Amino acid sequence: MIAQSENAGPAAATAPIGVAGVGMTRFASTDDRSLLELLETASETAIEDADLDRSTIDTVIVGNMAAEAFNRRSGLANALVASIGINGADARRIENTSASGASAFLTGVDAIRAGRASTVLVVGGEKMSSADVATSTDIISRITHHAEYEHGITLPSFAGLAADRYLREHDIDREELARVPVKSHKNASENPYAQFNNRITVEEALSSPRISTPLRLYDCCPTSDGAAAVVLTAGEEAVTVAGCEGASGVHAVADRPNPLRIESVRRAGRSVYDAADIEPNDIDVACIHDAFSILEWLEMEELGLADHGEAWTLTRDGETDLDGALPVNPGGGLKARGHPLGATGISQIIELVWQLRGELPSNRAVPDPEYGLAINVAGFGNNSICSILEATV
Amino acid sequence: MTDVLECTDCGQRTFYEKRRCLVCAADSFERRDPGVGELLATTTSHVTVDGVRNPNRLGLARFDGDTNVIAQLDGDLEPGDAVRLEDGAELRETDAGTLRGGRLELAD
Repeated sequence: MIAQSENAGPAAATAPIGVAGVGMTRFASTDDRSLLELLETASETAIEDADLDRSTIDTVIVGNMAAEAFNRRSGLANALVASIGINGADARRIENTSASGASAFLTGVDAIRAGRASTVLVVGGEKMSSADVATSTDIISRITHHAEYEHGITLPSFAGLAADRYLREHDIDREELARVPVKSHKNASENPYAQFNNRITVEEALSSPRISTPLRLYDCCPTSDGAAAVVLTAGEEAVTVAGCEGASGVHAVADRPNPLRIESVRRAGRSVYDAADIEPNDIDVACIHDAFSILEWLEMEELGLADHGEAWTLTRDGETDLDGALPVNPGGGLKARGHPLGATGISQIIELVWQLRGELPSNRAVPDPEYGLAINVAGFGNNSICSILEATV
Repeated sequence: MTDVLECTDCGQRTFYEKRRCLVCAADSFERRDPGVGELLATTTSHVTVDGVRNPNRLGLARFDGDTNVIAQLDGDLEPGDAVRLEDGAELRETDAGTLRGGRLELAD
């Protein structure tokens, strides 16, 4: 039992908050544009999609994890507003490791909920290609507790331990886990914004290079360049924010009483279901933070989308496929759409908006969704932000 | 990190230094010998950062009081094995020199 401060609970219901516009760059292993150019491009696309006068944007929130480490720059929010004609707006950057994107989204939602803002541009981005894999791994592993860092523990090694424990505890064949990235790559193959458009087989996943056993290359998200943006407005749009809530967990992963439980995901999920006044079985489509294949199962179980120890059966039975009962990561997820850290949480929101507007081609679309859920996770569960969007038209 | 920290108020244990207890928020701990634990899971990391051995074998172990630790692992240990933290292992090289600490080894 970990007794952390209880959340104050979901914010009181207020006037509707609509998602007026969305835009993102295609995620890529390497994008020649600078981080600022990526943020500008995504922002311009979202503003154009919102079809509003940019002078009405009174607040700009930028999500980014590590521009100082990856790109040797800071001051992103100020540079952005001055570049795209929104100078004068209240502008700042939010950092919450790999949940920086959804944390920026939550900050924008809060600004409208609090009555401080009426039109908010939320944009997240990361340019990771400027560092090699070892350097990126080191930058990201510095979010761990210092005692974990001393042992050379990386995010993939947390996932390797969790996968080893889960497969043993529930007596599951290793190939079942490989079905998660196979599904993600299949979905991404139809997504023009995804980093990877290649389909893979279970056999290819199981024979890819070892990363942190039992996990292999295809169990792990890539490093990515990219940006994603949304425009939020006070008022109803075709898609509205039914809830957006965050929660933290313990810092050291081993401090969890059960290493297969992710307290922050459970808490954020519980709060957002309360805020939206719906139950897990009301969710029609979900964007899960699958930085590693095993996380898709663990997070679904924490969110009540599957019973504990049973999420793998939904993957096995095709229930999480695009035409299944609960499509998960229809855009390819972090694994195949890509994971430019500060952009990821917002790209999940954009995928839900596209699905809920019903404007995707049939080979990409979930049939007639009403509610979509996104969970964006910091570190290996140190902090989570869960959002529920609703189709209102 | 071979001692476990025990809260002097509620007895909750942790291997991870912090200012206050996770359960009761008291700010006083006593160092204890964690004794023998059980290995719950293992992984071998093949992508390691500068200064860390490659491959880096790691284990998740549970000790008395449902206190978990993740630490470097020696030998061919498997989940279910009895383990203890042995001090003095070379964990990683840094600009300031070699970091030493506790590594999980088979308990006698």
